[in-house]
Amino acid sequence: MAEPSAPGRSFDEEALPHLDTLYRVALRLTADPTQAEDLVQDTMLKAYRSWRQYRPGTNARGWLLTILRNTFINDYRRRKHEPVAMDLEAVEPHALYRSIQDTDPEGSFFSQIVDAKVLEAIDALPADFREVLALSDIEGMPYGEIAEALKIPVGTVKSRLFRARRQLQAVLYDHAVEAGYIKPRETAP
Amino acid sequence: MSRLDCDQALAHLQDYLKRELTPELVTEVRVHLEHCRDCTGYARFEESFLSMLETRAGQTTCPKELRARILAALRAETTGS
Repeated sequence: MAEPSAPGRSFDEEALPHLDTLYRVALRLTADPTQAEDLVQDTMLKAYRSWRQYRPGTNARGWLLTILRNTFINDYRRRKHEPVAMDLEAVEPHALYRSIQDTDPEGSFFSQIVDAKVLEAIDALPADFREVLALSDIEGMPYGEIAEALKIPVGTVKSRLFRARRQLQAVLYDHAVEAGYIKPRETAP
Repeated sequence: MSRLDCDQALAHLQDYLKRELTPELVTEVRVHLEHCRDCTGYARFEESFLSMLETRAGQTTCPKELRARILAALRAETTGS
């Protein structure tokens, strides 16, 4: 019954509203605007060609993001020097807050950091971290939806997020100290 | 209802801020925050970090040219094959 051209309109309705999200996530994955554009276009064409596999009424955003991610992994060369995770295990989770709680408890130094520096710091995270951070803290996707799109357990989403946030905070803090937005942490006696 | 101590409350804080907790746990964390200035301060700090991320990186939109290019490519798929 279904004609080949029939899904055309519903593809537009279901997929096109997610272009902004796909573009933002592609930007963070590739850390390169030109590659991000190509990645989004490739993703949309692949999605269109496999539109029949999409079950109407299910999560189109997650479905598209899975395609975006697979396309990125398979077809895009990762950066030559893919950033690695900082070793933050030894650091107490709230150490950063402890060092600023008297001078800048609300973390207002964050708002002094220019956009470009924030994005640069995100893009300097390891790929696995950038990905979950983009989906959760930039796109606002629930953990369950992220887990489904990335095919990883919710616990993994959470632990990656936790480490990504800590690493990002540490990098932004160092930048804020360097730029003079905040006084340096006092060295331990 | 059991009272959470600071370590327990902080262990749930990220999930609390992301609205990923069960209603029962939300209440327990909220009760702890209401009674603990130290944890409230830390929660504010984490909140300002999260909202900073959203406002800085979440506003970018797909460029018009790219949108047009994609639409043209989709139309070519439809008519071309």
